Amino acid sequence: MIALQLLINGLIAGSIYALIASGFSLIYSTNRFVHFAHGSVAAIGAYLVYTCLVQLSAPFWLACILSIVLAACIGGAIFALLYKPLMNKKSSTAILLIAGLGLSIILDNLLLLIFGATVKSINPFPVAKGISIFGAIITPLQLVIVLTAFLIFAILWIVMNYTKFGTITRAVADNPELAKISGINTTKVQYAGFMIGSAMAAIAGILIGLEQQLEPGMALHLMISGFTGAVIGGLTSVPGAVLGSYLLGFVENISVWFFPSGYKAAVAFSLLLLFLLIKPTGILGIRKGIRQ
Amino acid sequence: MAYIIHIAIIIGIFAILTVSLNLTIGFTGLLNLAHIAFFGIGAYTSAILVMKGIPFFASFIAAGVFAAMFGLLLIALTQRLQGDYFALATLGFAFVTHSLLLNLDSITRGPLGIVVSSNPRFFRVDIVTNFQYLIYVLIVLSLVLLLLYKIGKSRYGKVLQAVRDDEIGAQALGKNVKKIKYQSVMLSAAMAGIAGSLFAHYIGFIDPATFYLYDLIIILTIVIVGGLASTKGSVLATILLIILPELLRFLPLPHTAIGPLRLITYAAILIAVLMYKPRGLFGKVDFQ
Repeated sequence: MIALQLLINGLIAGSIYALIASGFSLIYSTNRFVHFAHGSVAAIGAYLVYTCLVQLSAPFWLACILSIVLAACIGGAIFALLYKPLMNKKSSTAILLIAGLGLSIILDNLLLLIFGATVKSINPFPVAKGISIFGAIITPLQLVIVLTAFLIFAILWIVMNYTKFGTITRAVADNPELAKISGINTTKVQYAGFMIGSAMAAIAGILIGLEQQLEPGMALHLMISGFTGAVIGGLTSVPGAVLGSYLLGFVENISVWFFPSGYKAAVAFSLLLLFLLIKPTGILGIRKGIRQ
Repeated sequence: MAYIIHIAIIIGIFAILTVSLNLTIGFTGLLNLAHIAFFGIGAYTSAILVMKGIPFFASFIAAGVFAAMFGLLLIALTQRLQGDYFALATLGFAFVTHSLLLNLDSITRGPLGIVVSSNPRFFRVDIVTNFQYLIYVLIVLSLVLLLLYKIGKSRYGKVLQAVRDDEIGAQALGKNVKKIKYQSVMLSAAMAGIAGSLFAHYIGFIDPATFYLYDLIIILTIVIVGGLASTKGSVLATILLIILPELLRFLPLPHTAIGPLRLITYAAILIAVLMYKPRGLFGKVDFQ
């Protein structure tokens, strides 16, 4: 019973991590640098829904659409105003990483200033009784989270594999120089990566907002889980990032069996360090840029 | 006056932290984001040992040694990685350390933190007032600066920079690049450890929250503003950037807003410097 419950908890956590990680990986593979403010965009997405629902009393579906569209715009704006000027100056990826780290600090603290440190919650739905599957309990909301995540991965997979846009994106991810020479507008792909990735971050933010509560510190937690999942799966591979995130979700929750639950974070980072040590390319990643 | 002495002590402690971080980032070219973890390890080591009745001086040395051991562990784990991956792995190391400080209740008292109550005492010399503490911090800082100055002027310092500028070239000239990376990270960790000891006994209370991402951003900003591979730059930037946010205290702001505004100021300065003056005040090299 407990084993099954832990597996289900892992599935739920993994779904949210995977949404963050796949957006993060999409941005990484189209741009080749670590966008550290990705978790903050997810948190902003969640807070936007809260604002629309509570302050403007908009219907839930409208709040979600607004938040996702705005998050995509914010992602594009971050690229245009912060990363693009730095890239034009031929800044190294280390500088872009640190700039992203700085931006995440600014965004998280702005959330703290605007909304305060107290936890907020968005729960437009009445609390429903959990469904029991062989003794393990999953609430309808959690079921929605898992199914939404699956749906988005399916859409993303179809887009990446069967459309022209997907082919172009994969070409840029595989070899940016060659893609450029073949006449692909790489800047456009970079913008698209940021906007789609940020929209996915907002979806993850909303789902976690429904399931748990909103607090400004959530951005950092989401970012860490997201990039851990992405590194485990392979930074340059979106399916890899999804796979890695589910692995992370399961390992984190199964570790509760052996250690007190406070060690969840330590277990996650140890997994990250372990993968960086043994297989830095991750499960499905391309071997590039890890060692010179 | 008491306030000025307080600020001077904090500047002294942070100067040790930033010049030692510059040793790895600037001189050796390793983007080490785990520095704040060594600061924390030093602070906890020193505080716990003193509370267990170990003489103060021994605890101070132990803080440096213990932090250096963790530096050894870090570089042993990450030595094969390059660029972003090295940065992410070191950041992961900092998060693991924070998580352990938070969860190893029996040793660190977890989120409750440790109250360090006894006064520092060196071979029958008691340090009681803050002014005496300032002199103590300045002595340690001078020793650290002297060591870094000697390293900078020595052949060894040139080898460190050669590792940063052209690792393969340095290897081709028969330099043991691996050994040099180990030494640089361990020395820098040891300095962060003793800064941690200074911090713990001055503030008198430590908890895991002090050794996390936010203080990492502060020291990273200072190093980048001061300029890579410039010890002078790091010291000046520490003075400038510790004093500057203090001015926020004199503005009519609600006290809950000061903390976030302080961090936003640091992060904004960091981004502005990266955008418009990536070499900082006295930087000698570009970020690799």
